[in-house]
Amino acid sequence: MSAALLLDVAAGGLLLGGLYALIAVGLNLQYGLMRVLNVAHGEFLMIGGYVTYLLHVHAGVDPLVSLVASGPVVFAAGVGVHAVLYRRLLRQERTREELEANSLLISFGLLFILQNGALLLWSADLRGYQYLDQPLRVLGTVFPANRVVAFAMAAIVTAWLLLFLRRTLAGAAVRALMQDPVGARLMGINVARVHALCFGLGVGLAAVSGSLLSMLFELTPFVGLPYTITALVVIILGGLGSVGGSLVGGLILGVVESLGVHFTAPDLRMVISYAVLALVLILRPYGLFNPAAHRPGQSVQA
Amino acid sequence: MGTQIGRRRFLQVAAGSAAALGLPRGTRAQSPVRIGFTLSATGPYAVGAGITQRPNYDLWVEQVNAKGGLAVAGQGRRPIQLVEHDDRSEIETAVRLYEKMVTDDKVDLLLPPWGTAMNFAVGPVASKHGYPLIAPTAASLKLAELGLPSFYGMLAQPDAMMGALAGFLKDVKRAQGLNKVAVIHVSDLFGLEQQGALMPLLKEAGFEIVEAKAYPLGVKDLTDVLKGIKAKGAEVLVGLTYPPDTILATTQAKAVDFNPRVFYTSVGTAFPFFRDRFKESAEGVLGMGAWNPKVPYPGAKAYFDAHVAKHKKEPDRWASAFAYAALQILEETVGKVGLDRPKIKAHLDATRFSTVVGPVKFTKGWNQATPGMVGQWQKGEFEVIWPPERATAKAVVPKPAWG
Repeated sequence: MSAALLLDVAAGGLLLGGLYALIAVGLNLQYGLMRVLNVAHGEFLMIGGYVTYLLHVHAGVDPLVSLVASGPVVFAAGVGVHAVLYRRLLRQERTREELEANSLLISFGLLFILQNGALLLWSADLRGYQYLDQPLRVLGTVFPANRVVAFAMAAIVTAWLLLFLRRTLAGAAVRALMQDPVGARLMGINVARVHALCFGLGVGLAAVSGSLLSMLFELTPFVGLPYTITALVVIILGGLGSVGGSLVGGLILGVVESLGVHFTAPDLRMVISYAVLALVLILRPYGLFNPAAHRPGQSVQA
Repeated sequence: MGTQIGRRRFLQVAAGSAAALGLPRGTRAQSPVRIGFTLSATGPYAVGAGITQRPNYDLWVEQVNAKGGLAVAGQGRRPIQLVEHDDRSEIETAVRLYEKMVTDDKVDLLLPPWGTAMNFAVGPVASKHGYPLIAPTAASLKLAELGLPSFYGMLAQPDAMMGALAGFLKDVKRAQGLNKVAVIHVSDLFGLEQQGALMPLLKEAGFEIVEAKAYPLGVKDLTDVLKGIKAKGAEVLVGLTYPPDTILATTQAKAVDFNPRVFYTSVGTAFPFFRDRFKESAEGVLGMGAWNPKVPYPGAKAYFDAHVAKHKKEPDRWASAFAYAALQILEETVGKVGLDRPKIKAHLDATRFSTVVGPVKFTKGWNQATPGMVGQWQKGEFEVIWPPERATAKAVVPKPAWG
């Protein structure tokens, strides 16, 4: 085992981790803020992937350009879904447990509807295309070019999101609600609107991730759920409600998985990621970077 | 329960003797033959089921009904009516549905679901009730060991399939001195059995095995594994893979610039999708099993054309034709002996059939007339390249660089 190969494998994990991070940030915007656990998150990713696939194969649109379509289209769809399914649920005063349980039920329903809708529209055939699948030589090692490009795009989108959260008024409202829901409301923040924005942003980011993933992997209507689970591991790892935590968590998970798989077998990938999760939860029960960690048991009001 | 079966048996005998006496059956002669099956329309098996089995079931029913129906010995032609369900890729759901189709829907005949594990589960249900099941997508010695009385397998089994691969590799080793082999396999029944059959053959032939790794069904990434294999200098890659991972392994081998002289993947390699997806890069990729419209069997080309005409897509170059051949066998058998299931079984056991995949002869329920085969994509066609007596083209080794 040479050090060069080890570094090579770790860097490969980092590239995939970048995508994990982007998917997880989207989920975290929903769960961290609203306590709405959207198990259909991966389905929006799948839809983003299909949008890119269809645009590329039928209209010759470059997959990177298609992000401009898949992101906003799914963002708008997300705002719509929020208005129809979640707004009333969130408006009614409920306990956190009740809200989580009901939103879970809704998103399971959404998962089935989206998956089967995709199945009716596009059938279960594998869909994929070749895009930048040449090897790219960097510092003596080889990386798939499309993976490097996907990572770069994920980084750009994430940077954009961070800027949005830090530099805009809407972003400030999101952060305020994450930090202190009651205080934010007292300051006159329109909670329903911020929630709609976050839900839309969350699924929009999932769609962008899906578009990027479609450059690397084949699509079927069933690709989404495993990514939802990975994203869930990442946000718990990084801390609920912490955007930075999701980023670091995603990268860590990518690298640890890659190295773990390299030394054992791909069979153990899930075992490895759950082991990392268990370890972090034992050492830091609220995740690596949970902003609410110093307020355990705080009830979230929506 | 006992009396119920007794009553049903009585009715069957009564109906049978009525038929024997030549009593007029009136409208009953035109009542449809009801054929039940489940295929995965959703879940991980949906890809394979939707490519290899579903289009052939639909094509066959359309063809038979266009002829006026299924010829049933002694009853003339009766239209086919399908009783079908989605098993959602859940094995327990499939088992429940097959029980229901037999006991509740009381279908006349059953067709198999897709995939080794599925057939492993529903085979015993069909056999328990005496229904013949002719499976085009089951490859398992463990299944054969069950010795199910009315289960029939169309494909060459792991020992024969891996025997063919090992035979081909030995030939290449002799001619070109290839020695370092890496094997990856999907850790479900299919991959485990193929791997179990292949490894002793490779060792026996004196190959150096530089890597042997398992990966889970639904694996998302194989780059790390492939990079490791490349670093160990493998000259031959054998992937005992299922459709999504076949695509994954090929995409990622290309992306990390791993171009071994022999590149073999399993289920899915023979899909036209594979060729369309990889275009020039598909050139020289080897795959498990093989069939193409150039094979010299009666009806092969006509079947290919009919499939393209009906579905606007080509059949896959392996098990699709076996799925259609299984239906040909069923049709011929019912035409000869009717719907009496013991008679169907006796006919299946005794007859050498001529189909679009060539002669088929079941011995203890398994088709022994089709050898294990190796195929290779060459200029847009999946050529049979091993064994030599079945070959439609010569193997291209080493595989050209990824296009």
